[in-house]
Amino acid sequence: MSKLTASSFNLRDRFGDWWDVATPVQKGAFRVAIIGLFYALPLINNPIIDTPETSFDSVLFYPLIMFSLMAVGLNVVVGKSGILDLGYVAFFAIGAYTHALMSIHTALNLWEIIPFAMGFAMLAGVILGLPALRLRGDYLAIITLGFGEIVRIIAINTDAIGGAMGITDIPGPTSIFGIEFTVMDPRPFYWLTLTLLLLVIWGVIRLSHRKPGRAWEAIREDEDVAEFMGVSTLKYKLWAFIIGGAVGGLAGSIYASQIRSIQPELFTLNLSIMILACVVFGGMGNIWGVILGAVLLGYIPEKLRFLSDYRIIFFGLLMVVMMNIRPNGLLPRKKREHFQEKSK
Amino acid sequence: MTKKLLEVKDIVVKFGGVTALNNVNLHVNEGEIAALIGPNGAGKTTVFNIVTGYYTPTSGDVLVDGESVVGLRPYKIARKGLGRTFQNIRLFGDMTAAENVATAADSLNKSGLIGSLLGVPRSRRDEKEAMEKAHELLKFIGLDHRAHQMAKNLPYGDQRRLEIARALALNPKVLLLDEPAAGFNPQEKVELGELIRKIRDRGYAVLLIEHDMSLVMKISDRISVLDFGQKIAEGKPEEIQNSQRVIDAYLGVAEDAS
Repeated sequence: MSKLTASSFNLRDRFGDWWDVATPVQKGAFRVAIIGLFYALPLINNPIIDTPETSFDSVLFYPLIMFSLMAVGLNVVVGKSGILDLGYVAFFAIGAYTHALMSIHTALNLWEIIPFAMGFAMLAGVILGLPALRLRGDYLAIITLGFGEIVRIIAINTDAIGGAMGITDIPGPTSIFGIEFTVMDPRPFYWLTLTLLLLVIWGVIRLSHRKPGRAWEAIREDEDVAEFMGVSTLKYKLWAFIIGGAVGGLAGSIYASQIRSIQPELFTLNLSIMILACVVFGGMGNIWGVILGAVLLGYIPEKLRFLSDYRIIFFGLLMVVMMNIRPNGLLPRKKREHFQEKSK
Repeated sequence: MTKKLLEVKDIVVKFGGVTALNNVNLHVNEGEIAALIGPNGAGKTTVFNIVTGYYTPTSGDVLVDGESVVGLRPYKIARKGLGRTFQNIRLFGDMTAAENVATAADSLNKSGLIGSLLGVPRSRRDEKEAMEKAHELLKFIGLDHRAHQMAKNLPYGDQRRLEIARALALNPKVLLLDEPAAGFNPQEKVELGELIRKIRDRGYAVLLIEHDMSLVMKISDRISVLDFGQKIAEGKPEEIQNSQRVIDAYLGVAEDAS
């Protein structure tokens, strides 16, 4: 058993060693290659990676890149700050409904609606967070679980926003930079979401390496001590909720603009659990691990479609096995330590 | 006239029916090392938890540099100038030593999250200053060679000292040390005593909870003794050593003493 623990897998350390000594040109080339590969994914058309039954292009958009975006958002809350949020789907739903309603009832297009979608999701984060974040652990998790359900149930029971039937004929995005967004072709939506995901990653990494990142980690490690060291824990927990919410709202608005019709049943607890699974499976607190988790958990069930109904059993088994082998996730959060001689 | 940087006035703390502290008065003067001693369960750590705002006293007042802090959230009291360490080490284990110290240093600047995201000049300056301060304090405490190691991977003695560095990053008016010598060998205790004096000489007042009497008697300017939530003695080390009440509290009174 011990042979299977994380320490025996040191590809990551090898990469870290290389990264530490890599020249800026090498680092840049590596980044361009990885990002380029992701942009090229819809063009590859390789039978090995293609998914049976569902078109690979639509799998790339949902669940793959959508899960990734949401997992990165949820990771700020769960992985960075250590707050268990079981109702993340609520922010996704708020973003989706914001786009659906505003695009139908106003003259605004997706690009103009995105700030509203993110804004409303952030506001929801504040409304949920202010009372809930005074609690901790299990109690807080139950409140977030309730919040996710409340948003869905309100949507079902409010006829003005379509009730259980939801909203249909949602306008798609208008063309931008000469790129057309059509119902038939999910690829532009994939490229759009990938671009936004890169921006979100950039922002989250910036925050992680600075004062807010330290405050979040301190809260995760020991909330009382963080407070004794002058960290306003309520403020930073609230910020984690707001940023997580904004990313969820962003994802929701793009999702609604692609599938063109939404129903409350798209936003169930299952989706919250799924995104949380991406975060935990990939490696809580490590943005690359979380994305890897989202890509795999989005892709594997689609790849296993040939097993039809049994695929969920295999998927579940795979998760159980993986979590036993790597309980801290595929790429656990780990800082590279630097040792130096004692100076005297 | 010496200035009282920390003043505990007529503090009463009741947990349900139990009176943990009963009319306790304490103070820490500018530039002194004050010690708080007493048998186990006397209420020493409760005093720390009261002054740092973790508990609210049933009655009484706590003044930091003449300003009442009762009812303030702990992070606000910390920023007003109280840094503390913990009896059982409570570092941010998955953060590096430098990050541990910088987290406390951060709380004294006003950079906000949006500023950090956008990288505005003030945020960059604050970021640089916090890291510089962290490294400077690690050097002062003798841990600069461990700056980029995880706190949880440091040896025990280094963890204790890192807690002190982290508390100092708050620029505290009074540094509260809760049994800093616990688990130390005699040599380490001597070094710790020197470090605490160095901290005092840097201009921080110190309030020390400690069970090691030789350390307390050697470095303290003034000692207060708690027993069953009450202050039973206060004075210079030699006065405390010769106080019959203190000896009784520690050793117990023989039944047939009368």
